[in-house]
Amino acid sequence: MKSTNESVSEVPQKAKGRVKIPRQPMPEQDPRRRRTNFEEVPRGYSEEVAMLEASRCIQCKKPGCVQGCPVNINIPAFIKEIAEGRFVQALGKLKEYTALPAVCGRVCPQESQCESRCILGKKGEPVAIGRLERFAADYARQNNGVPENRHASPTGKKIAVVGAGPAGITVAGELVSRGHEVVMYEALHLAGGVLMYGIPQFRLPKEIVQYEINSLKNQGVTIHTDYVIGKSETVDQLLAMGFDAVFIGTGAGLPSFLGIEGENATGVFSANEFLTRANLMRAIDFPRFATSPVQAHRAVTVGGGNVAMDAARTALRMGAESTIVYRRSREEMPARGEEIHHAEEEGVNFHLLTNPVRIVTDENNQVTGVECLQMELGEPDSSGRRRPVPVEGSEFIVPADTVIIAIGNKPNPLVPQTSPEIQTSKWGTILANEETMMTSKPGVFAAGDIVSGAATVISAMGQGKIAAGAIHSYLSK
Amino acid sequence: MSIISLTIDGLDIEVQEGTTVLQAARKAGLSIPTICDHKDLSPYGACRMCVVEIEGVRGFPTSCTTPVTPGMQVTTQSEQLSTLRNCTLELMFSGHPNSCLKCPHRELCEEERPQATKAARTTRCGFCANRDECELREMALDSGLNELDLPTIYSAHKLERDDPFMDRDYNLCVLCGRCWRICEKIHGKPAINIIHRGKWARIGTAFDKSHLDSGCVFCGACVDICPTGTLTDRFARWQGKPDQSVATTCQLCPQGCSVQAQSKDGQLQAYTMPGFDKEDRLCLLGRFGAAQILSSSKRITRPLVREGDDLIPVDWDYAYQTISQGLLDANGTTVFLISETTSREERYLYARLASSVQGLLLSCTTEAGPDDPKIQELAASIEQGKVKAVVTNGFFISKEILNKTAFSLVIDCMESELLETAQAVLPAAVLCETQGSYRSADGTVKQLRQCSQAPGDARPEWQIVCSLAQSLGKEGFEFDVLDAVTRLVDNDAPPAALEKDPRENSREIVTRFRGHYVADIVPSLAAFDVPVTLANDAGDGRKKGFALLEKQEIVPNMHFLTIEAPQVARFAQPGQFAILMARETSERSPFTLVDWDKEQGTISLVIEEVGRSSRELASLRAGEHIAHVSGPLGLPMTIENTGTVFLGGGCYGIGAIYPLARAFKEAGNRVICAIEAASSYLLYRQDELAEVCDHLLVGTKDGSLGIHGGIAEIVSAISKQEQIDQCVIIGCTFMMRMVTKLTKSLNIPTQVALNPIMVDGTGMCGACRVSIDNQTQFACVDGPIFDGHSVDWDELALRRSAYRRQEVQALPQTVDLNALMHSHSGGCGCGRKND
Repeated sequence: MKSTNESVSEVPQKAKGRVKIPRQPMPEQDPRRRRTNFEEVPRGYSEEVAMLEASRCIQCKKPGCVQGCPVNINIPAFIKEIAEGRFVQALGKLKEYTALPAVCGRVCPQESQCESRCILGKKGEPVAIGRLERFAADYARQNNGVPENRHASPTGKKIAVVGAGPAGITVAGELVSRGHEVVMYEALHLAGGVLMYGIPQFRLPKEIVQYEINSLKNQGVTIHTDYVIGKSETVDQLLAMGFDAVFIGTGAGLPSFLGIEGENATGVFSANEFLTRANLMRAIDFPRFATSPVQAHRAVTVGGGNVAMDAARTALRMGAESTIVYRRSREEMPARGEEIHHAEEEGVNFHLLTNPVRIVTDENNQVTGVECLQMELGEPDSSGRRRPVPVEGSEFIVPADTVIIAIGNKPNPLVPQTSPEIQTSKWGTILANEETMMTSKPGVFAAGDIVSGAATVISAMGQGKIAAGAIHSYLSK
Repeated sequence: MSIISLTIDGLDIEVQEGTTVLQAARKAGLSIPTICDHKDLSPYGACRMCVVEIEGVRGFPTSCTTPVTPGMQVTTQSEQLSTLRNCTLELMFSGHPNSCLKCPHRELCEEERPQATKAARTTRCGFCANRDECELREMALDSGLNELDLPTIYSAHKLERDDPFMDRDYNLCVLCGRCWRICEKIHGKPAINIIHRGKWARIGTAFDKSHLDSGCVFCGACVDICPTGTLTDRFARWQGKPDQSVATTCQLCPQGCSVQAQSKDGQLQAYTMPGFDKEDRLCLLGRFGAAQILSSSKRITRPLVREGDDLIPVDWDYAYQTISQGLLDANGTTVFLISETTSREERYLYARLASSVQGLLLSCTTEAGPDDPKIQELAASIEQGKVKAVVTNGFFISKEILNKTAFSLVIDCMESELLETAQAVLPAAVLCETQGSYRSADGTVKQLRQCSQAPGDARPEWQIVCSLAQSLGKEGFEFDVLDAVTRLVDNDAPPAALEKDPRENSREIVTRFRGHYVADIVPSLAAFDVPVTLANDAGDGRKKGFALLEKQEIVPNMHFLTIEAPQVARFAQPGQFAILMARETSERSPFTLVDWDKEQGTISLVIEEVGRSSRELASLRAGEHIAHVSGPLGLPMTIENTGTVFLGGGCYGIGAIYPLARAFKEAGNRVICAIEAASSYLLYRQDELAEVCDHLLVGTKDGSLGIHGGIAEIVSAISKQEQIDQCVIIGCTFMMRMVTKLTKSLNIPTQVALNPIMVDGTGMCGACRVSIDNQTQFACVDGPIFDGHSVDWDELALRRSAYRRQEVQALPQTVDLNALMHSHSGGCGCGRKND
């Protein structure tokens, strides 16, 4: 570690002076180069740049950023540690609120959360909170810096966490640090949920996820992979086995399709399948890893969310000409601005205001294209976004040998199916009390996409955090 | 020698004295069927297919052993000869599994069966890998033989896998003797011969030793000359018929043997002998190793440039830019380490580049490695700062020394420790992925022709050197075609000949290719005491995970596994499946649960060995571990008392119907079980099934046992005798489809267990979607059991083939082929034990 005093002395000390420091840009891999590899796109701040950026924070008395954070991280506190060169301690501050800082620093939509509330943003650019969070986590990981854990004496209570995704990991982390015994059950062969199967390597290196999982294990959490609750034990049986509470975080693992003609043709994939092959099964390393990659030459991804961007950018990296088809305009795209921007930079084509109506196939039922309708924006709908209306007679065909459907997911049915006592909505999501995340069955809590439908990693973590707090009070009764 | 005139089928023919009647007839353009005869072998007269009538000669002499005499009158076609030949053929087929001819569904199946053989193929009667090339089958089809009336007497041999590189299935052998005759012709003293007599006669080694111990040098001639699927190259076994065959030269050592490269879909299957004479023979590394080297998972496939601790994949332009900058910045002498087995053109270009940068070229011999004196000298120069940069096209130098240079570039085909310190790495196309010329040790210049596609972004070295030189601003490298370079190569020295001929002795093969230990790339070479330096990929993970308690190859290619997986066993129900991953690098593959023991916490599965995943599972031994087992998955079968339940199973389905039969029986039904296989010796678990049903029926596609035909024939026979209230069919897509079509017409409610491609098995990916009554359903969470009359079979069959190409590609990769060698672990059931 370099001497930090020097760097600090270069930083103007008065608040006024500090504000003049521009927001530090993130070093990124050149788009021309990165489109051929799966390495992470943003390379991360150096120690000097991180301290400089951290010094921009004016340490507000009533920090808006904390309110903007779904897990209410004490943002000024961790930034202060960075500004003063105590990087490991900065991670310690983060860990008090989040189990996955290295992940959140990378995949949270900060621009609409913490950073949108930053006072500096009113006149200029907000502090790069996400980048600093990532820096603190990466620094500690790379330098084997382990912040002190909060130790709590064992409570003798035992919790089963079903699903080792963002919600489950948050709950496990929170509860184990409060002295409870936590046992996690994961259906897949690796823990991490969407962080492993969904988000690509170039956005979130898998080593980081596994590092975080390992640190959970080191804290004493037991993780059973290859364990399908609902097919093996049911939730009731878990309770009968002596668990004092059960948390369900099984996510939105049932892909939606468009319901248009030709959708079961060979060459049509759910984004889940496409990304699972590439990420979890590591088909990008085929043939070293045995799972076949999708060999696309012309890939069309349908959808405008983060998953659509991930799929389109993965297809591009696997050598395909990659196109996104989205029925609304760029403004309505639910994906993070940065992701859309990255996709554009790398050369993903965008067909906006374009609605797929039919998958065109050849005599072998292999995809040859997507028939689309041109749309125009009409009146705003219930979501406040202007509703797209088809332009009559505007049918055209986008040629494709691979079509990736990225229009969202429905809740995974495995647990609700076998736990009739747990009430679900008509969409199959589990109904949970917003303040406690408790389901209709006492002692059973749920959070994340299984409750909210398909949302973000951080919102699942936010809900998980609420659930963990409620489980703790429930067990302390 | 004098000329002899004779008449064959009324044609006047003149041939040399000493010619056989068969040769004379062929010369006249007449075709006489034969199987034991081969143009490169001396007459043998074993198969008796080539019988003819000769005026004045009693009986029917074999034309292959009868020399021509002046004025001979020969007839090759007559009714009597046809009958005789058909009888001979029938006799042969009574000992050779013949469902490939006799199956009543053969023609339909042909349509459904995609070309390449792989895990997801629609029909699965996969006991013979040689169907597309079988000379016996071809002869039978040509003869118009329609009926095979003789009873079948098969020998039911175990698949022989004791040896490296070859699988031998003597169930398919017709004793034509080609194998031992070619062995004798090439090596003088054959390693194999016919052993035993009469009914028990078969091909084998003296005293039943393994081939390895009996003096076999693994030249592969027997594999290449075998007319049936008996002898196969384990590596290429299920890849199907090659679609390209090119004469080229083997570059694995200075000998530079001429080879016939055979490939399919741009992927090399093998270097085979260009002919069947002594001088055509190959060493085992050339015959069996070349294809494994080219398709190794250790191949470098993309240009890589160092950034800190990481080598980052980049595009070629960026790589050339970075490399030329790196070489310029190194600002000092550059040494080029070039393998002497590099093509003449490429060595010429390397030398030209070396001199244009005032560098030095060191030619590295086949066996050269970091310990070579020449390299030691170089290491000293690097330490002293005399050499600033190194360009190497193989693993000739240690990573530590390479790290001491200001700049280092590896242009190679295979990963090595050099990738830990090299500044840049470029992927090279090698062997028959590229072209050019090669000077072999005896001085001859031989052609190198392309027969295989380089993996990923790999390029021929001559192109790489030219582009790199141009990017360095050097002139004289503007070559668009290789011929222009070839014309410039002059006076190149031949590489030093090997001391001993590796073709004579399997222990004398070269141990390195471009400095890489070949046994690290071709695992089976370990059997020849060739040095191995890397831990085998296959090794890890075998100690962690779910214990494999028992593994038996119950019939050829069909394995019965018992695994410790309590969380699956305790909750398993009939009709459910589990997902297995043999290793951390494997696919997630679904397998129907065949049995389970809740108390012991064990599950049992039947696995057909076809694709890479199943091979990986089959390569595990009792006592080792399966990395992942997850389940039970899928919805269980609804078991009710419906009256008479008919359960039909084919292939892995024979195992899969067992728990269903047991449950239906327990529910009070009359249970009829029917099982089918290509041939009687491929049926299994009959005793176990018989115990849990009221009536067990058997169908074979060759009629060797039970009803001639399959489940369809059994259903139609039984339905005439009694009412069937419910039908459940499990097997290949083709069989299930055929049977459901029939039961629809018979109005029998029918369920099937579908087997689409799956990834996670928990509903997450949707790969397994199937159309049931035009509604999309996920087989993993809504199935796998569906109403057979509502399935969109066309869609299912097509969706199953989606990854056909990749699956074939993946087939030989990383599977530890050495581990597939039959190991007498005690679990194989043969009674023998290793050690």
